[in-house]
Parts: sequence; structure tokens; C-alpha cells
Amino acid sequence: MNAPQSVNIIMIEDDEGHARLIEKNIRRAGIMNEIRHFTDGTSALDFIFGDAAGPACNGPALVLLDLNLPDMSGTDILAKIKGADGAVKRTPVVVLTTTDDSREVQRCYDLGANVYITKPVNYENFAQAIRQLGLFLSVIQVPDPSGAA
Amino acid sequence: MMAGSNGSDDNLGRRLTGFMAVGFIALIVVGIAAAWTTHRSAAHIRWLAHSYEVQNAILDARQIVERGETSRRGYLLAPEQRDFLTIYRNSTVALPAAMKRIRHLTRDNPSQQQLYARLLHQVSLLAMIRDRSIALVFAGDIAAARAAFDTEHSALPMARIRDTLDQMADAERRLLTIRERDVIDGERLFYAVLVIAAVLLGMVSIVSLLTILGYTRDLTQSRDALRSLNANLESMVRDRTADLTRANDEIQRFAYIVSHDLRSPLVNVMGFTAELESAAAPLRALVDRVDAEAPALADEAARFAAREDLPEAIGFIRASTQKMDRLINAILQLSRQGRRTLAPEPLDLARMVDQIRETLAHRLSAADAVLEIEGRLPSIVSDRFAVDQILSNLIENAVKYLRPGVPGRIVVRGRPEAGRAIIEVADNGRGIAPSDHTRIFDLFRRSGAQDRPGEGIGLATVRALVFRLGGLIDVESRLDEGATFRLSLPTTLASQEPTP
Repeated sequence: MNAPQSVNIIMIEDDEGHARLIEKNIRRAGIMNEIRHFTDGTSALDFIFGDAAGPACNGPALVLLDLNLPDMSGTDILAKIKGADGAVKRTPVVVLTTTDDSREVQRCYDLGANVYITKPVNYENFAQAIRQLGLFLSVIQVPDPSGAA
Repeated sequence: MMAGSNGSDDNLGRRLTGFMAVGFIALIVVGIAAAWTTHRSAAHIRWLAHSYEVQNAILDARQIVERGETSRRGYLLAPEQRDFLTIYRNSTVALPAAMKRIRHLTRDNPSQQQLYARLLHQVSLLAMIRDRSIALVFAGDIAAARAAFDTEHSALPMARIRDTLDQMADAERRLLTIRERDVIDGERLFYAVLVIAAVLLGMVSIVSLLTILGYTRDLTQSRDALRSLNANLESMVRDRTADLTRANDEIQRFAYIVSHDLRSPLVNVMGFTAELESAAAPLRALVDRVDAEAPALADEAARFAAREDLPEAIGFIRASTQKMDRLINAILQLSRQGRRTLAPEPLDLARMVDQIRETLAHRLSAADAVLEIEGRLPSIVSDRFAVDQILSNLIENAVKYLRPGVPGRIVVRGRPEAGRAIIEVADNGRGIAPSDHTRIFDLFRRSGAQDRPGEGIGLATVRALVFRLGGLIDVESRLDEGATFRLSLPTTLASQEPTP
């Protein structure tokens, strides 16, 4: 019943380069969890809410969310995730974007974002921020899918 | 339009004054005419009365003469009747007085005087004849007296006297007619003057009234025109302002989006450059190992590529991307400042400059420079952050571009000028060539020797901020003669709606 479940990482990022760099650095940090990459919001939401492997039906997940997507705004996705109930609502969301506009950051936190990371152009900082995600992943409480909470 | 209405004001004033003058002159003329005609008719009436008096006197004299004649004849016919004699004597006594009165009254008239002289002669002749016949009766010679009366042609002198008196009366009647006509003419003249004056006054009033009415109508029209023009102007200003605000918002959004979207690929360039660099490290190690263990395997090109080309290329890519990142950040910062809501508050510029001096203390002493405030700085109500940024940037620039070997002196001074505050930041530094005065305010543009770090952002930010505060900035400078940046800010910045 309480079989150990690994946390799936759902990366919503339209820039292939960014996705590759994020993935590289996550791996470099020693995190070997499965990473599912979506380049648009629609398919990502489909997966989160409908897919058998998604957090709605299946085990815990972590969402890495870029705010600039081709089909919808990242904040809309954030609002949908945090506006849902059950397991999806409890899914941690890490906003990863180029914007460091304080109003935008504030808005994301207001919508329920758990962490906000600005993609710095300085690569060392970027890599470090991603690696810190590993630390973050090790401390997040994995939501109990049985809903005992 | 204004000048025209002013001119017509003057014109109107002149015309109304003219009309009033004409009216007053008409009144004065009427007054004089009235006085003159009254005076004249009084004189005419006096003369008229005089003529009547003369006529009366003539009639009196005639009556007395006739009475004397009748009583004499009666006495001659009935001497026993003493009454006739009494009447005769009375008339003889009365006649000189009557004659004297005629002479007195006709003193002014030579022709009447001539007639009077004739009359006097005829009357005295008659008196002599009469006295003789009366004396004959007294003497008892009634028959002789009667005969004398018959023969003396007594009727002849009498007829002459009557004729003369008639002539005098006629003359006087003629005079009377003339004088009556004079009186009537005088009255007519008076009425004519009165009517002319009344017509004149009426015309003046009507013309004045029409002028005033016309002027009032013009005034109303021009006021209406002015009002609609004003309303137009206001809506035009509103439209223009809305256009400008829209355009400005559009530019801000554009700058924001562009700078934002430019960052995304830059993250990749930087990231994969770093990956390339880390990938180059093992390659370099490999070349080193090959060099050490089997030098025959490595050729010059491979060695050069691993040790020189790759690090050099990566270094240039890095430097360029870093610069690009700084530029993009500058645009982002500018656009952010454009979106910031200004909060006007009373500012103490002297204290602000003091704080800037403290912040720059180290750099000032390193550059052997002083920052001074000259005189009193004007007090203004404006956005603290923006003004601080403007002054900081200008002063920092002054410190940055001093002349080597010359002790720097940076002076901040100011004065109020017609609702605006003029603030100057002057230095004795290297100065700016006049051809670059406009250019230095453009983003990413710099001037002079490029021997100091910088992206050409400071003055562009300053200008953007000054414009946002409703101000102007210009520079006065020549190469090697220092520079003076002159700010003109509104004394009080109106607080504004936050830009959406």
C-alpha cells in the first residue's frame, strides 16, 4: 500500500535549450527522478489532470514552470494547478523564468508558487540555482496519494 | 482675434464719445438758440408794445385836436354855452402834453420825427387861428368870428392835421405789422432750432444704441467663438495627451518585451558556452596527455585549437554575452523606471547632495575632487527617487570624467525661475565636444576618449527621468573646459495617476 514512489518532475518549458540546460544541471546535482518535458501549456495540463502517470491519478510530482509559453501564460497554469483540489493542489510548483520583475514574482507567490527562480544569464548562478533544487526535492514532503492528510 | 477686438473696443469708445459730444453740442446749441430767440422776442414784443403806445398817443392827440375843433365850433355857434369854452380850454391845455408824448415816443424814428415836426407846425398854426376866433367872440364880435371861421378855411388846417396823423398812424401800423412778423419769425426760428436739435439728438441716440447693440452682438459672437475654440483646444490637448500616453505606454511595453525575450536566447548562449568550456577542459587534458605520452599523435593544429582557439573563442563569446546582458538590463531598467509611479514630496536638494557626497566620498578623494553647493538650492516638490537618481548620475559622471592632474571641482547650484527650478551641475573636467551634446543623452552612446568603464546608460536614464518629471536638460561644454548640465524642473510636480 505504502510502496515508495519516486517524485516525477514535470518540466513545462518551451525553450529546448533551457530545458536541456535544466535537465543537465538536475542530473549533475545527482537527481535521477524521471523528468517529463512539455513545450506547451495545453499538453502539460492534460498530463497533470488526465494522464494515468500524472499527479492527479498517480504519485507525487514536482512542476518546473516557465512563465513564457507559446499557448498560454505560465501564471494561468499555476492558477489552475493551485486552484484544483487534492493531490494536484499539493503539487509543489517551482517557477523558473527570465523575469525578475518584482510584481510578477509577487503575483506568482500570491497564486501559490512554492519557489521562484530567476534564470540568470550568468550560467554559474543558473547551475547553482538548479542544483539547489536537488536540496529542495530532498526536503519536500511527498503528498500521500491515499489522501490520509 | 484678440488684437482685433481690442481695436474695435477703442473704435467703439471713440465712436460713443463722438456721439455724446455731438449730443452735448446739440443741447448747447438748443440752449443758446432758446436764450437768443427769447431775448429777441422780448425785444420784438417791447417794440410791438412801443408801436401800440405810439398809436395810442397819435389817437389821443387826434382826439384832443378834434375835441378842440368841435368845442370851438360849438362856442362860435352858441357863445352863451360856457361849457364849450371850458372843453376848448381843456383841450388846448391837454394838447401840448399829448404832442410831447408823441415826440418822446417817436424819438427813435426819424421819419416819424419829420412827420411830427410837420404836425407840430400845423397844430400851432391851428391853435393860432383858434385863439384869434375865440378872442373875437370874447370881444363880442360874434359875426366876425363866425365869418372868419367860414373863411379861414378852418377845415383845411384840420384836414392837414388829420392827414399827417393818418400818415403817422399808417407808418406805425406798418411798423406794427413788421414787428409782429418779427415776433412770429423769432418763434418759428426757435421751434426750427428745437426740432433740428431734437432730430439730431434722436439720431445720435439711435446710432449710439445701434452701435452698442452691434458691439454687444459682436462681443457675444466672439465670446461664443472663443468658448468653442477653447473647448476644441481642450479636447485637442486631451486627445494629444492620450496619444502621447498611449505611444509612451507602447514604447515601455515594447522595451519590456524586447528586453525580456532577448534574455531567453542569451541564457542558452551563456549556458551552452559554459558547457562548451567544461567540455573543452577534458579535451585540453587529453591533448596534454597525448603530448606527454605520444607526441607524434598530436599535430600543431589540434594543440593550437585546444589550448588557444577554444579558450579565446569562449572568452569572446562570454564577454559579448555579458555586455549584451548589461545592455538588456539597462533597457529593462529604463522601461521599469518609465512604469514606476511618481510620488511627489517636498525635497531638500542640499541634503540630497550631501548624501550623494557621502556616498561618493571615496571616489571623490581618489580623484582629488571636491563637491560643493553654491548658494541656496531652490526647494521643489518632486519624486525623491527620480531626482536623487538624476543628481547622482550627473555628479558621478562629473567625478568620472575629470581631467587627470587637475584637482576636480564639482559645483551644484540652483535658482527659481518663473515657476521652475533651475539646477546646474558644473565641473572643471574634460568637457564634451559641442558636436556630441545631443548624442550623449542617447542610450548606449558615449563621447570622448573611451577610457572609463560604462555602457552609455547614465545620461539616457537622466534624460528619461527628467522628461518624466516634466523637465528639460541640456549641457553647456567644450572640450577641456568642463561641462555644465542644466536641469529645469517644475517647482511642483503634479501627482499623477499610476500608469496601468
